[in-house]
Amino acid sequence: METIVKHRIKQVIKGDQNAYGEIVEVYKDKVFQLCYRMLGNRHEAEDIAQEAFIRAYININSFNQNLKFSTWLYRIATNLCIDRIRKKKPDYFLDAEVPGTEGLTMYSQVPSETPLPEDEVESIELQDAIQKEISKLPDKYRSVIVLKYIEELSLNEISEILDLPLGTVKTRIHRGREALRQQLRHV
Amino acid sequence: MKCSEQIIDYMHEYLDEEISEEHEKILREHLQSCSDCQEYFRELNKSIALVQSTSHIQAPDDFTSKVMAGLPKEKKKTEIQR
Repeated sequence: METIVKHRIKQVIKGDQNAYGEIVEVYKDKVFQLCYRMLGNRHEAEDIAQEAFIRAYININSFNQNLKFSTWLYRIATNLCIDRIRKKKPDYFLDAEVPGTEGLTMYSQVPSETPLPEDEVESIELQDAIQKEISKLPDKYRSVIVLKYIEELSLNEISEILDLPLGTVKTRIHRGREALRQQLRHV
Repeated sequence: MKCSEQIIDYMHEYLDEEISEEHEKILREHLQSCSDCQEYFRELNKSIALVQSTSHIQAPDDFTSKVMAGLPKEKKKTEIQR
């Protein structure tokens, strides 16, 4: 996979914009998922994931072709998510309850883009509960937990993506796990 | 938590798949005799399993075309590059 991507990157650098579309196809789900788990809602995730791909394109010349493209792309996406989390206005939360309603969130008022199959509906409540707990983690723990347990990346790769020493990544994963243990033990 | 922090460190070493045989032996033996630590370890594993159970979601269908539409025009490329 990386070989094909490396070839496409060379084409993009030569000016072939269409070759970039194939790179987006390869990584779009991973990047979207990373953003969704970091940000907790689809609209923001789509916005930030697109921004990540556009930034990667604009800065493609600064990408070191000896490295994994995915690592570099995830770094861009993670940084954008963290920026977004820090800038987020506290009065704008899609999963905040709408005044005068019970359990009806802004989220349920946003039309869903993809209809959900019946068998998935059952676990939606649980899925939402887990996502809510992930969203409660401080961003420095959230990013390592998402990269490790949702994107299933190695500690070394996470250390490269976040540009942090391996020891720091381990400490954050341990603290993230401790926080999740407390939050999820009664789920 | 009355047990030593050391045992909890070993749990994390275990979860990182970086535990030495010696530490793993200590952890196993301790877990057999300590129900508090057993529970603690179970909760850690449960929280990880729950996070991993979140379904894998896909980018919207029009994702790639939206990205492509958002790219700077090729002729402007030299101005945008640093």
